[in-house]
Amino acid sequence: MSTYISGGCKMGKSMWAQRIALAYAGREPLYYIATMLPGDEEDEARIRRHREERAGLGFITLERGRDILLALDGADPSGAFLVDSVTALLANEMFDARGFYPEAGEKVADDLEAFVARAPNTVIVSDFIFSDAAIYDDTTEAYRAALALVDRRMAARCDNVLEIAAGIPIIHKGVLPI
Amino acid sequence: MVLIIGGSHQGKLDFARERFALSDADVFLCDGSAEQIDTSRRCVACVDRWALNRLRAGADPLAEMEAILPRLKDAVVIATDISAGVVPVDPLMRAWREACGRMTALLAAEADEVWRLFCGLPQRLK
Repeated sequence: MSTYISGGCKMGKSMWAQRIALAYAGREPLYYIATMLPGDEEDEARIRRHREERAGLGFITLERGRDILLALDGADPSGAFLVDSVTALLANEMFDARGFYPEAGEKVADDLEAFVARAPNTVIVSDFIFSDAAIYDDTTEAYRAALALVDRRMAARCDNVLEIAAGIPIIHKGVLPI
Repeated sequence: MVLIIGGSHQGKLDFARERFALSDADVFLCDGSAEQIDTSRRCVACVDRWALNRLRAGADPLAEMEAILPRLKDAVVIATDISAGVVPVDPLMRAWREACGRMTALLAAEADEVWRLFCGLPQRLK
């Protein structure tokens, strides 16, 4: 059963995602797919600390900043997967040192749909960045539109869709799978 | 009146088109230059953009919306929720944010149905 989670910053999305992934895993392997690419020494230290914290919970960390399907190579697809987050994955796929790839939203949505088809016990975390009072430049707006495209396609595809508000899950589709 | 709210790109207009069988000609889509709302259409979308245009022109969008409300009683009105970000530094954007909050509450009070879209999924609030 797949679950898609979004909501505002520091609302408890990752905590709920971890609880759901733990519930999915049972006796199967439990994987955490980290999508953040480290930019500097400070990021690397943070990533090391998070990886150690998750190891204590039983997660095996797989790092994939791009091409998320490759994370399944060598992993057991009957296990539970937590993908955190779509926001970082899309940013990595959309922007690099050479430029800007406007079609990245479709690519990420295609990849995540294929991922969920192969590994059904997956929890995916996104971020709700669509309710601020600002008129953005075209590139930022293209990124927001692409993230919303991924959100909408995956909300249609996943069994459960949750919005986390102040640590409380609002069920927009399916059930709270715990 | 039906009011549909939600963040940017959440599928508000797609939902309105499908649920209320709207054609392109039924929809008045407020863009960066819309100054006057065409109340003869069945649907008025992006009233938040219209409010910004009116503020830029020195007008009061809340008072103007109140004045045309009776002509929107059978319309589907779509408003982007811009209320949940950092308080803008620019006074115009601050005024826009506040005007949209008040305008959305005014529309919701008038509306028979209020829907909120989240990741393309509708939730009926009223």
